[in-house]
Amino acid sequence: MPEITLEIVPAVVIPTHLTGEVQSKLAYVDQGIAKAVVSADGLHITLHLHQQPNSAERSRLEEKVQRVVTSLARGAIQPKVQVLEDFMDRPVRYHQDPNDVLLARGEMSQEAQGIFTLGPLVTRLIEFFENQFLGLAASFNAAPYRFPTLIPARYLERVNYFRAFPHSLSFATHLREDLDVIDDFAQHAACDHEHLLGALNTSAESFAPIQTLLSPAVCYHLYFSLADKPLPGGQLVATAVGNCFRYESFNLRSLERLWNFTMREIIFVGSKDFVLQNRELARQEMAQRLEKIGLAYRVESANDPFFIGEFRKQAAFQSAFQLKYEIRASLPFKNATLAVGSYNYHQDFFGRNLNISLPDGSGAPAGAPVHTGCVAFGLERMAYAFLAQFGPEPANWPAVVRDWIKTSAAPQNPGGA
Amino acid sequence: MDDIKTALTRQIQNLLVEALKASPEMVTPELSFGDLPQWDSMGHMEVMLALELHYGVEINADTIANLVSIPAICSYLEANGHA
Repeated sequence: MPEITLEIVPAVVIPTHLTGEVQSKLAYVDQGIAKAVVSADGLHITLHLHQQPNSAERSRLEEKVQRVVTSLARGAIQPKVQVLEDFMDRPVRYHQDPNDVLLARGEMSQEAQGIFTLGPLVTRLIEFFENQFLGLAASFNAAPYRFPTLIPARYLERVNYFRAFPHSLSFATHLREDLDVIDDFAQHAACDHEHLLGALNTSAESFAPIQTLLSPAVCYHLYFSLADKPLPGGQLVATAVGNCFRYESFNLRSLERLWNFTMREIIFVGSKDFVLQNRELARQEMAQRLEKIGLAYRVESANDPFFIGEFRKQAAFQSAFQLKYEIRASLPFKNATLAVGSYNYHQDFFGRNLNISLPDGSGAPAGAPVHTGCVAFGLERMAYAFLAQFGPEPANWPAVVRDWIKTSAAPQNPGGA
Repeated sequence: MDDIKTALTRQIQNLLVEALKASPEMVTPELSFGDLPQWDSMGHMEVMLALELHYGVEINADTIANLVSIPAICSYLEANGHA
């Protein structure tokens, strides 16, 4: 079947620093788009479509694409990229995408787009990195927390998440408490592979109103637990690992970009100085740990993937105030980098929006909102970047990784329940 | 000279009232980023874009990070020949 494409000339030239951003946002323009490519010079957009559009559909598609382009590119402010660490020249031993080998060996299997099961090799590697992050957390005496996978909609509403990241939300619901609805579902529910791409054939009315979502981040849970009261002691360091969910449409790809991924965070809450000093200490200690591992990476300023209405302003603000730095690990097989972690400072955003205040005697004016920050690591991405640099054979891994995995291997036959 | 400075401050106060949709009595001559709920990250960018529009000044990352109070905005505009 011939490939169906639609060429579009952007109404505004897309600046080179935004071509990737525009390309990823085009995933949300229309369900008929299978893939979008923005040329490196920002002068052409190619849409790959599932079906040949008629004239009206074509016009609608073009109009929506131009809306994305103008919203992101018109009046765009060039970000100030600050590189804090650059170890991209560290030697790497592998130059292929590990994805194919892992799939072939059964070390990884795909359940659906962006949803993977991981086998022992990747799991042990993730445990190694978890151990590193737990070591980092211990150096701050971080208090351990456990957070749920679900998060109430009203929480995300309170921090303007719906406005900033509507495209990546994942909703959780259940059948309405109605015996007829539940009986009907039990008898007729099926996945419609012919018309609905394998989705359930259940009508939307059968589901309860959405009150919960799948959590997009770990640290939000901590901030909500501290809301509407002074922060006891005026400062807190916490750590937690959790499942996070960010839907990325056709951008979902192997372990590089998962819908359901795991994030370890170390979270700082307190005065501005407390948060900024600890964020910097965490970066320095992490640099030592990554040096021992031998990972090729750089740390540079970045911005979050805000949706189009918010992107231009929020991204410029984040960049100007250097609120976010990403650890970008080298992916040698495609001469690119992948964000595997980040060092974040939110100023007093959560303190103000959630009414978390500094207590008397904390150095700041009593009642002033707390500042927050976090360092966050994507566990699957960290393992993926490592495998992309060192390959899937443990014999070729740096000794520090190989030895840890060897000596900390779980017993084969643990004491039985 | 003081009169010119006062007039510029008043202009900026009015610009902030409009950009932040704030009530005039809340926008004092010494107001800083974060003093009003409206002057948050999004509000700040509204202020920056309003400055760009009204005064034709260049908005870049440094400008955004430095112009975080009415006095700072006035000083910047004075230095760029807008007093």
